[in-house]
Amino acid sequence: MLTMNNITKVFRTDLVQTYALREFNLNVGEGEFVAVTGPSGSGKTTFLNIAGLLETFDGGSYSLDGEDVSHLNDKARSRFRNEKIGFIFQSFNLIPDLNLFDNVDVPLRYRGFNSSERKRRIEQSLEMVGLANRMKHLPSQLSGGQQQRVAIARALAGEPRFLLADEPTGNLDTKMAHSVMDLLKDINEKGTTIVMVTHDPSLAKQAKRNIYVRDGRVSELHEVAAFAEEESQTTAKASNG
Amino acid sequence: MWEIGPILRALMRNKVGAVLIAIQMAVTMCIIVNAVHIIVERKALMARESGIDEANSFYITSTGFAPDFNEQVTVQEDLDMLRRLPGVVSAIQINAIPISGGGWSQGLQTEPGAEHDGAYTAVYMVDEQGLKALDVELIAGENFSPTDVRWRERSQSDWPDQTIITKAMAENLFPDLPYQEVVGKTVYINDIEPIIIKGIIDKLQAPWIGWDILENSMLSPEKTLFSSSRYLIRTEPGRMNELMPQVEEMLAESNKGRIIRDPTSMPDTRERSYRSHGAMIKMLTVVMVVLTLVTALGIVGLASFSVNRRRKQIGTRRALGASQGAILRYFMVENFLISSVGVLLGAALTVGLNIYLVQAFSLARIEWYYLPLGMAILWMVGQLAVLGPAKRAADIAPATATRTV
Repeated sequence: MLTMNNITKVFRTDLVQTYALREFNLNVGEGEFVAVTGPSGSGKTTFLNIAGLLETFDGGSYSLDGEDVSHLNDKARSRFRNEKIGFIFQSFNLIPDLNLFDNVDVPLRYRGFNSSERKRRIEQSLEMVGLANRMKHLPSQLSGGQQQRVAIARALAGEPRFLLADEPTGNLDTKMAHSVMDLLKDINEKGTTIVMVTHDPSLAKQAKRNIYVRDGRVSELHEVAAFAEEESQTTAKASNG
Repeated sequence: MWEIGPILRALMRNKVGAVLIAIQMAVTMCIIVNAVHIIVERKALMARESGIDEANSFYITSTGFAPDFNEQVTVQEDLDMLRRLPGVVSAIQINAIPISGGGWSQGLQTEPGAEHDGAYTAVYMVDEQGLKALDVELIAGENFSPTDVRWRERSQSDWPDQTIITKAMAENLFPDLPYQEVVGKTVYINDIEPIIIKGIIDKLQAPWIGWDILENSMLSPEKTLFSSSRYLIRTEPGRMNELMPQVEEMLAESNKGRIIRDPTSMPDTRERSYRSHGAMIKMLTVVMVVLTLVTALGIVGLASFSVNRRRKQIGTRRALGASQGAILRYFMVENFLISSVGVLLGAALTVGLNIYLVQAFSLARIEWYYLPLGMAILWMVGQLAVLGPAKRAADIAPATATRTV
């Protein structure tokens, strides 16, 4: 489904160049639910941006759903994102001036579906996240968890083969976070491949597979356990202190 | 694809900026369309031909002051000299100059008696060379002969028994007759004095450019003895500027008992007479340009603000599959919708202002096509103004969606 070989991403300024990803290799199979963890600045978000075709990269090759996407132009990347990738963002990224129906409609319009097809998909996806009865509400009238559900509905309405989630529970309380995770697991059970970037080891554990990123590289699996340990100690200290 | 519904709904939730821009566009359109209408009207007035050979004509005034100054002799000698001068096509003594702002008018009527209404006309007192000097064409009847021309004293109030009138005046006096048949008809001046119409000329404007009946003019076969004479001199093409100082010097030298003054070309006279129109056109043009610029800058400002405020939203749209073209189109459509409200409101305001101007200042009604033209121009201004901010929006990277700041 997703194959990255020796991906390199360099951010350059006049004075320095910083490697965000260095010889990054990853293979995600069809139907997997992969959690990508790692400390701040490790390159998780850069990986997510490149995986989601939101950013280009400087070296290596990347194929998604069997297609080499390394050299697509901006228009083709936009179309690819629209048709094959669903995005879930940490801060939901709903458009505040649009009601839920119109928010879910945004990617479908770019897809060029006719209005009846769009309506069917919007209703179906909002139904799936349990918000079909609030279609005319604005995002500001919903709780954080509900907003993330709308974002998930928006991501799913186009029936993508690949779902990218960027800290999907980062702005939610524990109860809502679990509810969103359960939803993601359900979606994965139905066959959608999910790659989720998260800081939270407990959430990462719920994925079928964990990837640990450090200094722009994928590290060995035992480091994942070490990271989980490190993070849980940090959390414990924070709660004791 | 055009997202008109969502854009409208989003605008309805953030109306203040959009409404202000729409109002600004409406006011701009209202003022621009009415200003263009006034400019076109003024330009049409300025483009009217006086009927004379303006490019090659000038006039000059001779005022006698010496006790032994004999005006009759002086005028005759002056005209002889002027007509012999190389480069002069013709020269006449004339009491008033077309479109100059000052002259004589009289009423002519087809029936004698004070109880009958007449038509007003400008009066030009000329001799038999009047048609040639004025460069007007005799389209019916005959020119004056030298014997028709008389001398008129300042205190004299009667009129010669013949006249030549413009075609417009003929049609005014005898609306039911073809102008050719007006030749030979008797009309009455000073209510009861009969005058026979000897000829019809094509066109000669009165001295007053604001007169409703500017084309009504009559030629009276007279030379004046008013102690001050004005000579109208028509030169060969391109020789006016060369002959003006020459004539001034020649006349001054020929008789020391008078003052020669105010040599004025007809192009200068036209410019002076229509100066207020010209100034009005310039002022309205400046107002239009400034208003359009202010409106365009307002649109640029609102759109730029909107783009900056919605950077994350635009990044999200890009992440969800919007191409750069789709983002560009979004802002162009948004502006088009705001502009549409503006120009529709502007069309109503334009008509309202025009109705007021028609009633208050007797302006003509706006032609219908000014409205769609004004709307199209304002739409275009809006689209051009929003293009820059829209392009900047389209350049926002999709990765902006994942940035936390």
